[in-house]
Amino acid sequence: MKAVGLTTRVLRSPAFALLLVALAWELAVLAFAPSPRYLPALSAIGRDAWSVWPQLLACFNRTLLETLLGFALGAAFGGACGTVFTYSRWMERSVFPLFVVSQTVPIVAFGALIVIWFGNSLLAKVMTAFFLTFFPVTVNTLRGLKSCDPQRIALMRSFGASGLVMFVKLAVPSALPQIMVGLRLGIGLSLIGSIVGEWFGETVGLGVMLMEAMNGDLVVRLWVVMVACGVMGMLLYGALSLIERRLVWWRSEA
Amino acid sequence: MKLSPLEVMPAAAVAPVEAPATMLELVNVWKRFGEAPAQTVAVAGVNLKIAKGEFVTLVGPSGCGKSTLFNMIAGLLPPDDDGALLLRGTSQRDGQMLGQVSFMPQRDLLFPWRTVLDNAILALEVEGVPRKVARERAALMLPEFGLKGFADHYPHQLSGGMRQRVALMRTFLFERDLLLLDEPFGALDALTRTRMQHWLLDIWARHWRTVLFITHDIDEAIVLGDRVLVMTARPGTIKSETRIDLPRPRDPSIVTSPEFMSLKRRLLDEIEEESRKTFAQEEAAS
Repeated sequence: MKAVGLTTRVLRSPAFALLLVALAWELAVLAFAPSPRYLPALSAIGRDAWSVWPQLLACFNRTLLETLLGFALGAAFGGACGTVFTYSRWMERSVFPLFVVSQTVPIVAFGALIVIWFGNSLLAKVMTAFFLTFFPVTVNTLRGLKSCDPQRIALMRSFGASGLVMFVKLAVPSALPQIMVGLRLGIGLSLIGSIVGEWFGETVGLGVMLMEAMNGDLVVRLWVVMVACGVMGMLLYGALSLIERRLVWWRSEA
Repeated sequence: MKLSPLEVMPAAAVAPVEAPATMLELVNVWKRFGEAPAQTVAVAGVNLKIAKGEFVTLVGPSGCGKSTLFNMIAGLLPPDDDGALLLRGTSQRDGQMLGQVSFMPQRDLLFPWRTVLDNAILALEVEGVPRKVARERAALMLPEFGLKGFADHYPHQLSGGMRQRVALMRTFLFERDLLLLDEPFGALDALTRTRMQHWLLDIWARHWRTVLFITHDIDEAIVLGDRVLVMTARPGTIKSETRIDLPRPRDPSIVTSPEFMSLKRRLLDEIEEESRKTFAQEEAAS
């Protein structure tokens, strides 16, 4: 019974699905032999990755660092702004629309400005990542905090709870599931932000490798970078899901 | 949890030697919502006195302003300026009632991220009692509330009756002399409800608190109360007051006694009348 359960679990796991896709890819390339320009074999991509391994690793780490820093900054700022907007109506009315406007300007349009402001530094990439992250976190924090059950608020008030106690013991925990939604959106956007940021002048990073591959017409290298980005996205998302499961494990009642 | 033939009488309720101290007094309490032409009067001119240690039940048709009245007593809603709310003889200003009465709303409102024990100590935590001390105190009360062995369970793992007992325990642990219970057993099935009523009487007898209990179940009102207040249809005010002289401790079988029956018949008539009014009001409005 347990052995069957284990087999089923393995068969249904995302890792197994990934393995199947990889296998199908490899077999399809072997069978139909398309031009590597259109679809190189997975093994070819692997070999190419191995040939530039040290550079790839350095780029991966650099982009990861930028993404994480941008994400942390964006999450902290977004959380703080969401909180301020929840408890201050006039701030929400006057400042929140500016946030929305800021997000309608494509990040690429800011590229030059960011280089002028922050130079060709780590900070410049962190800022582009930050810029994409803070908005979804702000919106979801605001929504989460505002949707706090008024009857629970009344109960806490009847116990004589102060605003701060209410915030810590009631508002934040009940907003947490919604905040996590914002963070999930933010982590993916943060990766995009740091890669786009690297396009505006940098020497290390997956974004740089991507540009080099495009300029040099290295199709296989392009695939290497794409897979690397995918792996990083998966790792980040997976880590966040793990945190979420430990932090917001209760069933929502609403 | 057991049905309690052993329910003990609080001393003062047996035979008040002299007039017992007044716990809560409402003088001409009104609550109006909105401005003059489209004004809704939720509560109109309520006068009410509750003695220390008394168990008073309040019945009325739905939408009669019972909950509004409760929210005012809990301090969640200020009464209109022409009335006064006195606690132990002292007039209470807006917001002063907050933190002074143990208030239990209709829904259990347990926090899903807290265990049974941590839900029970919520009010103590708010008061600033260290968590460890509060937990120890609550753990001692678990058996009494039929929650022994459930300290580390989460609300979603409990039945409706158990959740309600956790909520009651939270209310009891917030040690205030006046308990406000708003239809705490409303969502329970009839059998569980009867058990919970007698269990509540048992707890009340031992902890000796003043209770104001809202219900729309007449049996419940009579079984539990020293006095039953009937509220009118909106605008809500106190229509009548009936002293329940049924002996305590009260056994579940009391509902079949002739005294109970005659009390019930009288109260039913009164409530029927008010329900009809509510119904007519709704008809007219639609």
